[in-house]
Amino acid sequence: MKFIARKPREGINVSDEHPLVEAVTLIVGLTAIFIVIALALIFIIEVALFFVPEKTEAELFSGWIPDDLVTVSPADERLEQTQRLVERLAGHWAETPYEFRVEIDDSDVANAMALPGGLIIVTKGLLDQVESENELAFVLGHELGHFRNRDHLRALGRGLVLSLFFSVITGKDVANLGISATDIALRGFSREQEKKADAFGLAIVHSEYGHVNEAARLFERWDAADKNTLAIVAYLSTHPQPGDRVERLRALAERDGWRTDGQVTALGWQGR
Amino acid sequence: MHTALRFGLPEMEGSFEQLSLIVNIGLPILLLVVAYLIGSVIEKRHFQSIRKREDDVHGFPVVSFDTMPDDWNASSSDMVTGSIVISLDYFKRVIAGLRGLIGGRIKTYEPLLERARREALLRMTESAREQGYDAVFNVRLETSRLANAARDGKGTAGVEMLAFGTAVKLANRIG
Amino acid sequence: MNISSSPIVISNTETIPGRKIVEFYGVVTGNTVRAKHVGRDIMAGLKNIVGGELKGYTELLQDSRNEATERMIQQAQSMGANAVVNVRFATSSISQGAAELFAYGTAVRVA
Repeated sequence: MKFIARKPREGINVSDEHPLVEAVTLIVGLTAIFIVIALALIFIIEVALFFVPEKTEAELFSGWIPDDLVTVSPADERLEQTQRLVERLAGHWAETPYEFRVEIDDSDVANAMALPGGLIIVTKGLLDQVESENELAFVLGHELGHFRNRDHLRALGRGLVLSLFFSVITGKDVANLGISATDIALRGFSREQEKKADAFGLAIVHSEYGHVNEAARLFERWDAADKNTLAIVAYLSTHPQPGDRVERLRALAERDGWRTDGQVTALGWQGR
Repeated sequence: MHTALRFGLPEMEGSFEQLSLIVNIGLPILLLVVAYLIGSVIEKRHFQSIRKREDDVHGFPVVSFDTMPDDWNASSSDMVTGSIVISLDYFKRVIAGLRGLIGGRIKTYEPLLERARREALLRMTESAREQGYDAVFNVRLETSRLANAARDGKGTAGVEMLAFGTAVKLANRIG
Repeated sequence: MNISSSPIVISNTETIPGRKIVEFYGVVTGNTVRAKHVGRDIMAGLKNIVGGELKGYTELLQDSRNEATERMIQQAQSMGANAVVNVRFATSSISQGAAELFAYGTAVRVA
């Protein structure tokens, strides 16, 4: 046997396709598939919502409070007054099946949330910031608007289903990307929901007080405090910009001929 | 996970939420780009080095015969090994993850395995030559994966390639 | 360097039975990395509960083995060999769900 040193040709075990070609094909193809599946899942959720009427939801979730809620203690007297305000406002909503409950979240960030079963959470920070009952009434009315549109269930359902889908099908890195991407895509829709809730809130305030004076004061203050928002930030936001919200509310009031002057009601706990 | 509907808040949205979103999407994309660019430079350089060293050892017999050819006259022998561990870069891992959904050849891994294999063989051959041997037979190749501590990328992702064989000093010249 | 395109014989023994090796050139290898798709994974998950052959995986690895062998043969052909002896296979998992398979042997010319 004779030994002759020879080398094999290059490139047999390596495909000569540029790696980016494979990368782009995969990413584009899979994104398309994901979008289709995500839309299908969202549609399924809409159908499911149809079959869970408010009454059932109210029964299922009655008395439920999320585990990570830290309530203010000792119980604030503001809680009682807010609770009564909510009940008065809800009185204007003829067909409401919920029994609304209010809880105060021990957080200094001003916020309010609508949760399943008629639970409304307002933060300590929000109660500290509102300067009149009309402002608070608008915030609460806005949350009532979410209940009416069943936005809270939609958001929960979507969050659950989509994150389940992504984490089962893909590994962790891709799952995060997928969830964030879907999240951004749904932001536009979320802003629409917020606009509807704003309109409902304004209507409720008008029903309660006969005018809409000072209802949007909170937004006006926020808008003044935060003048420069980049367009990209505005696009990515789940809520419309405060300035835009104020404008829309003014336009709504004008359209429906609602008075924007009138006696502003002070908060029950003010001046103490 | 607690996705409840919140009342919009400029301070909160402007800083935390926007930032976390940008981090969640921007960071992986940035990592992908960096991994791809730097990774392909490293790969090219490695292949250049491999080709050069293969030319240097060209002519050194390396075979996988079980038994030594009859006309080889061995005076001494020893086992020689060569190994390398190459890391799977982020770009390749993500692409492989996407492949795992639809199946098929993972073309981005091929150059990596090729490099590992040729490098391991080279190191074994160079080691044999340095020690004064004249040929290596019964070459075997083994691959293994670095044991990740857990799934999901915690722990190091890497591929080890091992080449080992029996090196012999020959009394006569061959070839 | 003459590229041989005559059909190549492979064997996992030292020599091709009945023929004599006249020249030998060196080690040739062929490898592939393949990933399974989600469908196979789900089926395999079910089979992991009830047992039985994982046909999807059998096919996957069979295809990989054929492809790796094919590449090894191509390397041999490009060296002017007409046989590969001492063929061995090695499998390993590179990452979750991706299996590497390679085949290697020595490229020779038999008479």
